[in-house]
Amino acid sequence: MQIDAKEYENASAYKSLIEAYAGKPEYLLAIMQDIQKQYNYLPRLAITMIAAHVGLPVSRVYAMASFYKAFSLAPKGRFVIRVCDGTACHIKNSETLLDQIAKQLQVRPGETTADGLFSVETVNCLGACALAPVMVINGKVYGKVNRSDVERIIKEYGGAERCKLR
Amino acid sequence: MMKINVNGQLREAHAGESILDLCRREGILIPTFCYHQAFGGQGACRMCMVEIREEGQSRSRMVAACTYPLTKPAEITTESEQILRIRRTIAMLLARRADNNPLLEEMCQNYGALRLPAISVEPANCILCGLCIHACTEMGKSAIWSMFRGVDKRIATPYDEASDECMGCAACARVCPTQAIKVEEEGAVRRIWNKSFALVACTRCGKPYATSDELDYLHQHGDFGQEKLCEACRKKMLAASMQTFQA
Amino acid sequence: MQTEINLGSHDRQTVLVCCGTGCTANGGREVFKAFSQSLQDHPEIEVLPVVKATGCNGWCEKGPLVRLLPKDITYCSVAPADVNEIVNKTLLEGVLVKRLLYRDPVSKEHLTSHHLTDFYRKQHKIALRNIGEIDPGQIDDYVQRGGYQALQKALLGMKGQEVIDIITASGLRGRGGGGFPSGQKWQACRNASGSPKYIICNGDEGDPGAFMDRSIMEGDPHTVIEGMILGAYAAGAAHGYIYVRDEYDLAVQYLRKAINDARQRGYLGSNILNTDFSFDIDLVRGGGAFVCGEETALIASIEGRVGEPHDKYIFPTEKGLWGKPTVINNVETWANVPVIMLHGAEAFAAIGTDNSKGTKVFSLVGKVVNTGLVEVPMGTTLREIIYEIGGGVLKKRSFKAVQTGGPSGGCIPAALLDLPIDFDSLTEAGSMMGSGGLIVMDDHTCMVEVARYYVSFLAGESCGKCTPCREGIRALLEILTRICEGQGSIEDLDLLEDISVTMQQASLCALGRTAPNPVLSTLRYFRNEYLEHIEQHRCPAGVCRALSVFYIDPEICNGCGMCARHCSVNAIQGEKKQVHVIDESKCIHCGECYRQCAFDAIKLR
Repeated sequence: MQIDAKEYENASAYKSLIEAYAGKPEYLLAIMQDIQKQYNYLPRLAITMIAAHVGLPVSRVYAMASFYKAFSLAPKGRFVIRVCDGTACHIKNSETLLDQIAKQLQVRPGETTADGLFSVETVNCLGACALAPVMVINGKVYGKVNRSDVERIIKEYGGAERCKLR
Repeated sequence: MMKINVNGQLREAHAGESILDLCRREGILIPTFCYHQAFGGQGACRMCMVEIREEGQSRSRMVAACTYPLTKPAEITTESEQILRIRRTIAMLLARRADNNPLLEEMCQNYGALRLPAISVEPANCILCGLCIHACTEMGKSAIWSMFRGVDKRIATPYDEASDECMGCAACARVCPTQAIKVEEEGAVRRIWNKSFALVACTRCGKPYATSDELDYLHQHGDFGQEKLCEACRKKMLAASMQTFQA
Repeated sequence: MQTEINLGSHDRQTVLVCCGTGCTANGGREVFKAFSQSLQDHPEIEVLPVVKATGCNGWCEKGPLVRLLPKDITYCSVAPADVNEIVNKTLLEGVLVKRLLYRDPVSKEHLTSHHLTDFYRKQHKIALRNIGEIDPGQIDDYVQRGGYQALQKALLGMKGQEVIDIITASGLRGRGGGGFPSGQKWQACRNASGSPKYIICNGDEGDPGAFMDRSIMEGDPHTVIEGMILGAYAAGAAHGYIYVRDEYDLAVQYLRKAINDARQRGYLGSNILNTDFSFDIDLVRGGGAFVCGEETALIASIEGRVGEPHDKYIFPTEKGLWGKPTVINNVETWANVPVIMLHGAEAFAAIGTDNSKGTKVFSLVGKVVNTGLVEVPMGTTLREIIYEIGGGVLKKRSFKAVQTGGPSGGCIPAALLDLPIDFDSLTEAGSMMGSGGLIVMDDHTCMVEVARYYVSFLAGESCGKCTPCREGIRALLEILTRICEGQGSIEDLDLLEDISVTMQQASLCALGRTAPNPVLSTLRYFRNEYLEHIEQHRCPAGVCRALSVFYIDPEICNGCGMCARHCSVNAIQGEKKQVHVIDESKCIHCGECYRQCAFDAIKLR
């Protein structure tokens, strides 16, 4: 498995996050969540260090990372736009929001803009169904959003420029 | 020992054994994909579903024979319309993944399965039985695992790259029911799961037979003797030594 | 059964600002801050009103909600700019700010308190009794309303078995969807051999459209904790886990604080209330997997494995977490436990139907006027909930169906609106109660697309281990997508049914077994829509883009221009107050104009 030499610069940072927990498989989820939160994805080196710490093969840790949606194996954009596709939002046309985002930023769910500014994803029901359709950007919840709201909000985050697909 | 009624006939079962173990011993056929004698049942392919009604229950229910433990007297049916429909549908669905494969052809024919358009899966022909993963862990390694989830689930090494754990023993390929795992051998090189290995030649017949990584690993973990012999030659040597023994 | 325990009166003026996830998205936090700020600017007030940020009140439609006690005044859709006026007029002078009061759409009256509205009047709050009344970050708020009294009553006066007997007598059944009798579950764990035993709270609420558990975890975390401690005492467990869905940040925050506070007060830890009973709780954050709501997958997740379920031929109460006897119950189930222990089994069993006791929290969402959380006695009819409490269908459109039970459930058509909601009646109609999501759908909802939507949701959530679920969902999705795109054939319907039956019988877990339900139930009640897609290449709801062609009826169109404003491809032309026209060469059939037109001037060919 190839690991970029540059990643080793972060090794001690990964170590302190990882070693905050005892080296047992039951802490695997929690350790991975902490790394994900800090780096917005799970770097390769971190995965190998986590595996060593909890005493599991790398393949098992990678399986966890690929199974659970909370984790990403590739870096995400600075602003992650999450459009809720829960049932209430879906029947209130969350698809239209995705169309608008695609129009403005030229990215569809699962993609990141070339300048690394925006990622867009659909997410499972956030539990704010009364505000359908709902969009969340880096934790900030926008409710009852329509196309022109999306256009305005994206511009506020600096998305006025058109970005090419990464 | 317990009395279990299978298809109208009483059979003797060991407490706690699976329905499948009982039926295999008694020669009652239940088709499976993900069962292997070495690993037991996994409950993944769902081809082995049978109906069981245990003592004290008013209705029967459909259970996986390979994982259901027999703990009390019961009545089991292994052939019924519902069961045949399940087998037909499982064969139909798995045949999409292994479209041209003899095993799936046979199952589809046996159960009269409709053929649906093939889908492309990675590795080609993989039916996700998981036996390869068991083989790898039985060898004491863990180079491959089932990654991702749902319709995207597939067997792979981390990042689909050469795994540091893989020793190229190809136990996974040998146990695969649809020969989905590619093992490429050219001269003294074997390539499997995106990794190349140097093959060691048999000292008797000269054929490359195992990777040096695998031999190193085996030597580290047990005394397998110092001779580098392929399986065929090892058997011949063993037979020869047994002949001298008899004499 | 009254749960308004008023220990400590609210003689002192109190301002309750809803800061649940919904209202926070709408600016609730800013309103809360504005109140704190505004009151600081009034040094003349001797006794400053207490300002609390509360959990979700349930009436999300009208948020941010502000309630003033002791007068019991409710202001709706409050903005930070309104706060000074509220402070000056209502708090200082006792005068109502009429424009912020709820106006009943029928009687046109302004109602001073939310308690007087149809939305609240018909509810019966047990699980939600404290939410909106307390600051979920303050254990004393919970204690003041009777919190931890049930624990004292049980620990200091009863044996563990007695607790089980009371829960069994109450008839409490699991609120997460399974409906399994809770007393029976706890008994099985108590009887099982193996130690230590575990208690788990399943907070992995994943049904899209459901947010009952989120509200409880955010708005009243201590009721869950107290319930779990009681359960642990009953079952003989020493350790507990609350497994919270990853996406629920606020719930995680409040639960963590509540656990810490409970420890500090001696409700958790060693020798609780100076007895020899010890119990503690850890919080585990989910990894983002709907399937982890399934018991065995949840257990796998806690153990550090992927959330793949296994056959439940041996129940978790026998062999659960790390092979030990384990009780897993849903958030709402735990929330009911302290109330049952404090007020008795009979009081609880007096509510509801023969087989379904107590109340149930539903999330009423979709095309309904009053979206939000409602808690009603079991046996209340769908019609009462949707029309009397919910205020009927949004924009007065016609009701088509209500989806219950999430991706495991089914659609209930208008003809069955008088069904009483309980565990059994909905199952007979081809759906299930599930966790409590009620999604109201109108004539602009395509039932084939709804089936496709749910299957598509499950395609991403299935763990992928077993063939019938993984490959069955794949095939169902392909077929339904084809039908929605106009490529379906009549044979597809037979194939859908065939695959569905195998999935129901052969899947490894309940996700796969119930995945076909939305397909089967829409086929049962809305087969005509499927046939129209297949045979007439037409989507009667105007949703499936390939099967919807819109035109503007010149007899009705008054040229208001609303459609043109919403058209993202500028396909609609027309002068102000003149009939507008859709340019079919530019139209992408998204249906925005169709849905926006307030005069029903846009029609489907």
